[in-house]
Amino acid sequence: MKDLPQTVFVVDDDDAVRDSLRLLLKSAAIPCEVFASAQEFLSGYDPAQPGCLVLDVRMPGVSGLEMQHELNLRGATLPVIFITGHGDIPMAVEAMQHGAFDFLQKPFRDQELLDRVQRALIRDTENRARLRHTDRIRERLATLSPREREVLDLVTQGKANKMVAGDLGVSQRTVEIHRAHVMQKMEAGSLAELVRMMMAVAPRQ
Amino acid sequence: MAGPTTDVLALLDATFDAVVIMDDRGRITAFNRSAEEMFGYRAADTLGRNVSMLMTSADRAAHDDYVRRYLAGGEARILGRGRDVRVRHRDGSEFEVFLSVGRVPNTDPAQFVGFLHDTSLRRKALATLERERQVNRLYLDLAQVMLVATNRAGVVQLVNQRALRVLRVNDAQIIDRNWVDSCVAPDDRGIARNAFRALLMSGGDEPQSCEYHVRASDGEDRFITWRGVALRDSNNVANGVMLSGEDITDQRRAENEAHRALERMNNVSRLATMGEMAAGISHELNQPLAAIANYAQACARLLRVPAPDMPEISGALEQISGQALRAGEIIRRIRSLARNEDVRRETQDINELIREVHTLLASDARVHDGRLELDLAPALPHVTVDGVQIQQVLMNLVHNAFEAQGGEAVRAETNGATFEVRIATRPTDAGDVEVSVSDLGPGLAGEVEQRIFEPFFTTKPAGTGLGLAISRSIIKAHDARLGYRANQPRGACFYFVLPAQMESPR
Repeated sequence: MKDLPQTVFVVDDDDAVRDSLRLLLKSAAIPCEVFASAQEFLSGYDPAQPGCLVLDVRMPGVSGLEMQHELNLRGATLPVIFITGHGDIPMAVEAMQHGAFDFLQKPFRDQELLDRVQRALIRDTENRARLRHTDRIRERLATLSPREREVLDLVTQGKANKMVAGDLGVSQRTVEIHRAHVMQKMEAGSLAELVRMMMAVAPRQ
Repeated sequence: MAGPTTDVLALLDATFDAVVIMDDRGRITAFNRSAEEMFGYRAADTLGRNVSMLMTSADRAAHDDYVRRYLAGGEARILGRGRDVRVRHRDGSEFEVFLSVGRVPNTDPAQFVGFLHDTSLRRKALATLERERQVNRLYLDLAQVMLVATNRAGVVQLVNQRALRVLRVNDAQIIDRNWVDSCVAPDDRGIARNAFRALLMSGGDEPQSCEYHVRASDGEDRFITWRGVALRDSNNVANGVMLSGEDITDQRRAENEAHRALERMNNVSRLATMGEMAAGISHELNQPLAAIANYAQACARLLRVPAPDMPEISGALEQISGQALRAGEIIRRIRSLARNEDVRRETQDINELIREVHTLLASDARVHDGRLELDLAPALPHVTVDGVQIQQVLMNLVHNAFEAQGGEAVRAETNGATFEVRIATRPTDAGDVEVSVSDLGPGLAGEVEQRIFEPFFTTKPAGTGLGLAISRSIIKAHDARLGYRANQPRGACFYFVLPAQMESPR
């Protein structure tokens, strides 16, 4: 599956700031869309659309922080770059604590913004790749039979076939057959690769 | 045994002193009413009995001797002289009287009359006098005012405890000293002498007032407000003065402090307003600066390509100049607010003033996630005002209005609706101009409404309680009144009516 083109979404209620950001991104050949309010952006946003968000912390209506919260709720992984005026630092810190990608204090150098945007876009690509990877692993896991899943859990705990056979009360030969099926269904070339896959989908502590 | 005639008895009964008459054998022949009172006997019970019944045991034995010796032509021990003797009451108690005895003329055998004057009564009176004196002294000393009496020469005759405490001296250090020279602060002695002289020469008993410093023994000056009256002798000649003084040093100090605080207040409030607005202002200023920086940097990039997009670049340059002007405008507003000039009244359009301050107020609205609406009536008469001051009042009212709507409870109540503050102008029936700032917050509770204009009264955790008080004084200085009424459908509305300028401006 090929990625959609990446877009920088700019949300700022100040006409001049918003338009100048659009022009700056355009001059750097970065596709962007601008919105005057959080509501305007949220109403049309499809989480499948890759890119990043450039958000003014202070906005009437839904604030930048509230918007970030809303995106988190929707499961959107879009990296958020906050731009703040002077004196909004505590707000920016709070934003970072809630998972914002970065923040910039106004006014800023174009390169500062463009660098952050580039990094945010790379992060988004990585996020999406990782998400696709884990999605695929989960799909494969779903094809295993209950017995195969038991075998997988035990071998990835580092147990030898003989011990697995003992734990499950079956013959060693039967374990070998299940194990071969697991490797095949999970498309794993080695035990090490299988372990990595399981770690990728393991719930984070 | 012959007693006095009825006439004499009546006379005796009318005398204040006790009178006892006896014959040559010492037997009582008359006993007047005062004697009855003094000794507790009825006259009838004494007649014919020996006078020694009225005496103490010590005198009893000697008495008959005295009488006998006298009658035998000897010396008169007591006749015509009188002396203090102890006598005996019917109940056995003894007391002292002054006794004078005389021989009743033309009596043979001799009759003697004794006049007994109850000196214990006199002592009682003396004691009473003494007690009264002490009570008076107590009154003097209990008084919360300083009391000082001097003679005609200004020499202190009497001071009370309060005065001693204020002056930090004891009686001996002040009695018989000249009041002005020893107690009044050197710089104020002229005032004190003049007041003293005026008091002595004053005709009536009306107290006269003056104020001067006294100097305590430790060198500290206390400021006293005095009321004085002249003391007069029996010929109504002033022979001294009585002064009552109240130490108003602390009170005066507090007044001066309050006065200085009031003077500073205006500046402080400007600064406080500035402080509160600083975050909003810097944000407001950052917006055009950020836009300018972005446009300029975009232009630089756009110019680097072989065939630059000239219309885009030209548009960006226009934006740059526009945003620079916007920034300049904001700075101009800030400067005019920070300016601390004398009142400068100008005849002007109130709507223009409101629009001018709107930019800054909008930033305040932004901080509070609110909206600021203008509802300005067209073609209003001009008003003569200090524009900066009126703008300051508006900023204050708008700021309060947003804060009133900003609380968590209020947000919950209004269901997260956008907070709106409205500045409105309208002509009144009298042709003047009403300016009002209204919000959709909870409005004012009754008790708050009563006190809202009091200095230092605040409902805000970090409020100074000065904003509305100063706003009101500014409006008052414009011959108007800052008032409050409930807003419809809810919330608070502060308003003031500025007199319309009669002549058409310019």
